[in-house]
Amino acid sequence: MSSIIKIPFGPQHPALKEPENFMFKVDGEYVVDVTPRIGYAHRGIEKALEDRTYIQDLYLIERICGICSHAHTTCYTQAVEEALKVDVPPRAKYIRTIVTELERIHNHYFWLGIVAHEIGFETLFMYTWRDREIVMDLLELLSGNRVQYAMNMIGGVRRDITPEISSKIMKGVKVLGERMKYYKKICSDDKTILARSVNVGILKTKDAISLCAVGPTLRASNVKRDVRADDPYAAYDEIPFHVVTYDGCDVASRIATRCDEVIESVEIIRYALEHLPTGSIEVIVSRVVPPAEIISRVEAPRGENLHYLRSNGTDKPSRYKVRSPTLANLTALCKMLIGGYIADIPIVIAGIDPCFCCMDRLTFVDINNDETWGWEGEKLRRYGIKWYKKQ
Amino acid sequence: MVQEAIISLLQIVIFPGFLFLILAAFFYEWVDRKFVARLQNRYGPLHTGPRGLLQPFADFLKLLSKEDIIPYAADKLLFSAVPIFLLSLPLTALFCIPIINSTALISFEGDLILVIFITTIIVISVFIGAWSSTNRFSTVGGMRACLQMLGYEIPMTIAMAGPAIVAKTLSISKIVQWQTTGLWFILTQPLGFIIVTICFLAELQKIPFDIPKAETEVVAGWLTEFSGKKLALLRLAEDLELVLAGSIMASLYLGGPAGFSFMPPFVWFIIKLTVCILILSNLRALFARFRIDQLMRGVWKYLTPLALLQIILVELIPW
Repeated sequence: MSSIIKIPFGPQHPALKEPENFMFKVDGEYVVDVTPRIGYAHRGIEKALEDRTYIQDLYLIERICGICSHAHTTCYTQAVEEALKVDVPPRAKYIRTIVTELERIHNHYFWLGIVAHEIGFETLFMYTWRDREIVMDLLELLSGNRVQYAMNMIGGVRRDITPEISSKIMKGVKVLGERMKYYKKICSDDKTILARSVNVGILKTKDAISLCAVGPTLRASNVKRDVRADDPYAAYDEIPFHVVTYDGCDVASRIATRCDEVIESVEIIRYALEHLPTGSIEVIVSRVVPPAEIISRVEAPRGENLHYLRSNGTDKPSRYKVRSPTLANLTALCKMLIGGYIADIPIVIAGIDPCFCCMDRLTFVDINNDETWGWEGEKLRRYGIKWYKKQ
Repeated sequence: MVQEAIISLLQIVIFPGFLFLILAAFFYEWVDRKFVARLQNRYGPLHTGPRGLLQPFADFLKLLSKEDIIPYAADKLLFSAVPIFLLSLPLTALFCIPIINSTALISFEGDLILVIFITTIIVISVFIGAWSSTNRFSTVGGMRACLQMLGYEIPMTIAMAGPAIVAKTLSISKIVQWQTTGLWFILTQPLGFIIVTICFLAELQKIPFDIPKAETEVVAGWLTEFSGKKLALLRLAEDLELVLAGSIMASLYLGGPAGFSFMPPFVWFIIKLTVCILILSNLRALFARFRIDQLMRGVWKYLTPLALLQIILVELIPW
């Protein structure tokens, strides 16, 4: 078919906030095929983690992602604490939960603004991002930082919640919950938003499970799976909450899922603040971690976050692996895009709440025979030296 | 004789000709930006001039001084000519609109047709510009602009025929003069006014019909490759189009410069023009962007039959 045009989408594109390339084959306004090409934001964090101590790694892990920094550090500290066989004080667990949920509210507000921007609803974008300031101020009040909260330590948290902060958070989340109810009403009423989101980017329940989608993307396809409920960590085993699911399998459901999750998060924060246990917020831990192999899971705002730690009895990990939610959702994303319109590409991509800097790995693809292989940093370095000597 | 010639020359060059229209274009860009910004809980232009009034002009000057890049593969002649076309077309059309009194600078039987024709030619120029710049995003944007035109042009023209039928003339000036004695057409043909407003949103490529230059889909659409002086001219042309759209709405439906005698007709015109532009800006802040197929379906399914209904009503009701 000669009418098929190849349209590159990224690595620089206004709809993408981060570098990523999608090569679309389009026939008129329809998308026939899509090939993602990842790796533009590869930073070699996993390798760098092996060269640093566990304390230093905490700061590096925080910088995997700008938005869900707390989810990553929670996952990391859990893994290390389990290897150390340390029990975190309950107050620290509650504070971790509160920050996790504030982060979820922050992320979902941020995401809703981006979705509004992708479908050209600038007013909603401006409103949600204005309200997002409230949660960022709360996080600053709590941790001292707006984005990289650095609340987690191995063995506890860094700062305590005083009664004044607690009442301010209560007030702030009340406003956030009410605003989100209003936005949810807009998103389910406004004709133009519905026209752009209903039956767009369909991911059927069967496909969602077989393609290993995670997080709100999966829950919007009517699969009740949430690490907070299935494998409770921090204080989630003591706090009652609902896992939000929708059965629309489209972008509209993903919007509704996230709106409801924010409302649910507000309830979790309220409960946690009211039932905040007393006691210390940290325990002193050893700097040397005994040999162990740990898998740690956390429900990040974008979905299930999976960290793998192999320690060897020194103060540095011998291997650390991060599987962020966007990577898990990428195959599902390609499924959603094929058969849609060009105009729906941005909203569908934004619909999974992608965070490319979290997921980039180094993988080589030989274009001649489609072979794929991965290299470790050292091998790559040697190859580089050899290659430049030849020049 | 010489005096008359000088006066008409001054009218064309200064008021209400080129200079006034271009200043109005800058002013209404500011009105549009500021109003939408306030609706969206932002400040909008703030620093250049009082309340950012000079910001559009500052943007224009800045773009004039920027590097002007022509793509290697572009059709250089057409690519350079398109900004000039697009600037001169709305200016020409604005000369047919009565501004200071009820007769326009250029007025003849059939100038309504000319203005409608010019709004079409603007889109054709957009397509030529998109095509000659040989960029993938431009091509998609240009095609979308043309498709969009196929949708909104018919109901717009039909709706605009309403006032012409009642006033029994095809001259905008005479339609305005008819309204000085009779009722304003917005009162007798509100449906037509709504249709024309919606169609002008599409013509101006504003939200919810900014499909040809949807930033998140096709970068800047047909504008992608234009830079420097050309982009400056194109942006001025867009502002002029905004003024043109507002003026046509004000002239056909709000009686143009007609009004009570305690203020000069020109002031009435400015007030009505501002109201029309605020309507367009307000709608821009209310919606999300439609998809091209949704626009076409909506326009052919609803707008065109409604425009026809308006004409039937005009024929049935004597005024």
